[in-house]
Amino acid sequence: MTRMHKGLAMALLCLCLAGSPSPLWAQNPEDVSTKEVIVLLKEQNSKLSRDLRRIQREIAALRADLDKPGVKDVFAGIGYIFGLFGAAAFAASRRRE
Amino acid sequence: MHISDGVLPIAVTIGGYAVSAGIAAWSARRIHSRDLPKVAVVTSAFFVASLIHIPFGPTSAHLLLPGLAGALLGPAAFLSISLGLFLQSILFQFGGITALGANAVMMGVPAVICGWFFQYFKGRTKARQAFTGGLAGALGTFLSAVFLAGLLMTGGEDFFGVAKIALIAHVPVIVIEGVVSGFTIGFLARVKPALLQPVRSFHD
Repeated sequence: MTRMHKGLAMALLCLCLAGSPSPLWAQNPEDVSTKEVIVLLKEQNSKLSRDLRRIQREIAALRADLDKPGVKDVFAGIGYIFGLFGAAAFAASRRRE
Repeated sequence: MHISDGVLPIAVTIGGYAVSAGIAAWSARRIHSRDLPKVAVVTSAFFVASLIHIPFGPTSAHLLLPGLAGALLGPAAFLSISLGLFLQSILFQFGGITALGANAVMMGVPAVICGWFFQYFKGRTKARQAFTGGLAGALGTFLSAVFLAGLLMTGGEDFFGVAKIALIAHVPVIVIEGVVSGFTIGFLARVKPALLQPVRSFHD
């Protein structure tokens, strides 16, 4: 369960990073003036930080989910309880013989 | 209802362990080996009940069931609840491991009181048993909230302030516990009345 969650988070991160806007150096630097570059950079920056915030929120939500006890914990506990009482019953039955 | 680590002073923590160990030993001596399966089943129910969250307005409350455990198990309920709380604290991180003794006293003593209450007032008819069971369920949660306030008072809080907050926060839980316990006991009275008999001790 936990590993699946982690894998999901990683896949999400990779997807978001791959989908981010293409880098500026791909464009021809000669026909873009400095001002335009700055505007583009700012745009890209704000987009990236927005994406980053979203990912951080999702990671926080995932972490909160991971803290909750899962099905495994529930069955582990029930198993413990029956096991302990079974051992007690065994001891009691041995004593009576 | 769980007290976390580091809330209570050390003396109260150690005292809680000492008191709960004593009561647990007394409780264990009251269990006949024939009743072990019943105790195990109620312990499991208590252990799992804390995961059932009931949405109530803006908040959600989870079931506690000390009253029901007490009504079904009587004195054995203390041991059952201590074990349930121990497993909850290590598997679910509910309440701290150092506060376990105090938590056991807070939930277990009301359960034992509810057990006496239920056995004393249960009467013979099924309807009365269901009604008394519901009252015992509500009483268990109510007493636990009072014990919680008493324990937090030792940590330097004002008793009536905390008691008021604890009780107000648990009013929905008290009502729901009462209803759930009443229906459970009513159902058991119809299909398996033997479960409502008091747990036999070694001397019977």
